[in-house]
Amino acid sequence: MSAPQPTTLSDRIQQIPRHYVYLLLAGVVVWQLLFPIRLPITPSVPTRGVYQAIAAVPDDKLIVITTDWDASTQAETGPQTQSIIHACFQNKKKFVIMNLQPPMGVKLANDLAQEAAKEYGAAYGVDWANWGYKYGYENVLMALAKNIPNAIGDDFYGTPVAELPIMEGVTDIHQVGLVVIVTGLSAMTEMWIGLIQGPYKTPLAAAYTAVMAPIYYPYLDSDQLKGMLVGAKGAAELEVMVDRPGKAVAIMNVQSWAHVLIVALILLGNLGYLFARGRTGGRQP
Amino acid sequence: MWFSRLLQRLFPPAPTPAALYLYLAFALAGSIVLIVALHRLLGPRGRRWLIVFVTFIAGLFFGLEYFYPVHGDPEKNFLTDWIEPVSVMLTVVGALTVGLGIYSLFQVHGRALAQRRPGWHNSLAFFLATFAMLVFGLWEHYLHLPQPPPDVLPWPKVVYEILFNGLFAPLQAATFSLLAFYIASAAYRAFRVRTGEATLMMAAAFIVMLGQVPFGAWLTSFIPADSPAAFFRLEMLGEWVLRWLNTPAQRGIIFGIAVGALAMSLRIWLSLERGTFFSEQS
Amino acid sequence: MSPDLFILWAAAIATLGIYTILYRENPISRLFEHIFVGLSAGYLIVATWALNLEGKWWNPMIHDRKWYWIFAPIVGALFYFIYSRRLSWLARLVMGLFFGVGAGTFFRQFFPLFAPQITACFKPLDYQAGMGFQSFLFEIVLHHWIFAIILFTVLSYFFFSLPHEGRFGRGLGRSALLGRWFLMIAFGAMFGNTVMARISLFIGRMQFLLQDWLGSIIPWFAGRGL
Repeated sequence: MSAPQPTTLSDRIQQIPRHYVYLLLAGVVVWQLLFPIRLPITPSVPTRGVYQAIAAVPDDKLIVITTDWDASTQAETGPQTQSIIHACFQNKKKFVIMNLQPPMGVKLANDLAQEAAKEYGAAYGVDWANWGYKYGYENVLMALAKNIPNAIGDDFYGTPVAELPIMEGVTDIHQVGLVVIVTGLSAMTEMWIGLIQGPYKTPLAAAYTAVMAPIYYPYLDSDQLKGMLVGAKGAAELEVMVDRPGKAVAIMNVQSWAHVLIVALILLGNLGYLFARGRTGGRQP
Repeated sequence: MWFSRLLQRLFPPAPTPAALYLYLAFALAGSIVLIVALHRLLGPRGRRWLIVFVTFIAGLFFGLEYFYPVHGDPEKNFLTDWIEPVSVMLTVVGALTVGLGIYSLFQVHGRALAQRRPGWHNSLAFFLATFAMLVFGLWEHYLHLPQPPPDVLPWPKVVYEILFNGLFAPLQAATFSLLAFYIASAAYRAFRVRTGEATLMMAAAFIVMLGQVPFGAWLTSFIPADSPAAFFRLEMLGEWVLRWLNTPAQRGIIFGIAVGALAMSLRIWLSLERGTFFSEQS
Repeated sequence: MSPDLFILWAAAIATLGIYTILYRENPISRLFEHIFVGLSAGYLIVATWALNLEGKWWNPMIHDRKWYWIFAPIVGALFYFIYSRRLSWLARLVMGLFFGVGAGTFFRQFFPLFAPQITACFKPLDYQAGMGFQSFLFEIVLHHWIFAIILFTVLSYFFFSLPHEGRFGRGLGRSALLGRWFLMIAFGAMFGNTVMARISLFIGRMQFLLQDWLGSIIPWFAGRGL
């Protein structure tokens, strides 16, 4: 039995067929991608915190970038990871990529790091490395805190990490100067804070998808996180800070108008609702 | 520690490759005998008590190591040196559960294929995709390409890249990008200001949505950044909502979750829970 | 034909194939969904073996001759008895092990994770010496007072031990009502961020389709918007 056809203006305003909504959204995105109206992006305080945390790492310590994301959040976490890698290279900080879940993240992040390494003349195994996907969640972190070579085993390419030049002198968590969590999964941050940042006072920064970010503001407030990138916005702000405007900046140009469309659609729906309520004397459910 | 010396004496590495296979065979045989013996000798009550005991000891090990006083330099107690080897062992044991999900998938799609159910060709596509990724993924791994990779890649690596970057990643990205359409449609159809609370929620959503994007910052850019009224610039207002209105609310939720999770962890550790896993199946 | 072109076209066809579902459910999108699940299963096996089991289990056991690593797959194999009704207690045994580990690790994490959350609740609520009126208004009133009020009312909303009756109970009830209003603000902020996240995912895909794929065919599209 099909839904009754809208008859009044207020009903028609509230029941625009969904395919038209989809076309409107696609149209706005395509329009702005092809003819962008570029507006300035100013880095926010949480984003500056991430950059400052990276710059403050002592030269003899390692940065661990955990890329706990996959293609489902690639539009946000990909540019975040890329701009963090640029910040590490520009500040001449050695870093490693690793991943607790899902497995895809290390390959995607590896491709980004390889591309950036070409630009800075960085060598794999010397300036950066990829520890790979390590299954085990808390067990990996507890082992990593005590003995990194044993906890990690082989790197992404099958080489024992102890044989990599970047790992010289790196035995346990005390040689790690910063952990940057880039993730679209909840519960990862709590593990890192509870097992690494809290007991060993290892500085922690994070980059989240925009969905998750509001949940982690309390950890920013308590200084358990030194800084936080919020979705594509945070990625765009860090791209501006490292002077590599790229995909995230382009996304934010488009995002503005998509948000205006969503706001307009919600207002339109509510306008129809209020008209209908007024017509029925406030008895509309 | 005497216990670690005893273990090193009991489990030294095998001296030769032949001895290794002998030790492996004996260990495997001994384990099977132990499991069969446990299954035959323990009744339902005995099995339950064994499960309770194992659960308790597992939790006790990690909890006790954290709370037991430490001494020396580096600071540690009698359990600290065991955290790393036990944790590594557990990661290996846990990694073997990958087969559980794979087995379920193979069962469902295998049945559909064998019985030629409607849509069986999709199940065939599933199997082809699984084995293609398995074969070329392992092949690529064992190529041990140098870093950085050469300009001309071997053909198994090319096929692997096509499977990964040409199919796997884009399919996942596209599937999740559909959510944009669904949230636009859902927001338009369902978000109605029927109550004061809904109005408040909508107002907060609008402030955050516009404050997070450059357009919102541009809208209120006429307000000087260094004046007291800068608070009303949309990006400042959005940040204020997230930092000072959202944060205490989320923290209240965190406290509730913390207490609940602690209670739940205690109940699980002490095997006080009832349910499908915790009770014997009939 | 370069492999990059194969990858580009495969990705474009896969993306458009999934997008056909926006019109309606159809065989093309279902086929691509099954291909995705298959690739995901295959990759999981590859990553688990190549990045975990080979380095941490197989090499120590076979190359370093540490034979006791055989016990790891034996314990791990117990999980698979879940499929046997008679022997499923063995699966519950190893699940109990991991539940115990989870509980134990949560006890370890509890204080480092939540104690700073408690201490961070205490913010100065009074006038600090040397503070101007503007600082007092923005830092203390608009930030710290509001923080404290919202935290208290939200906590009272989740406090179910006392009924909302009697003079104290009614006060608690009003506080809980206020807490619910503040929670609505937090949920509105979460909704706003959720919209941002979802739209970003679609923009990312359109960037690929327009700039990378169409840009390889019609140069005008390449680099647009970047």
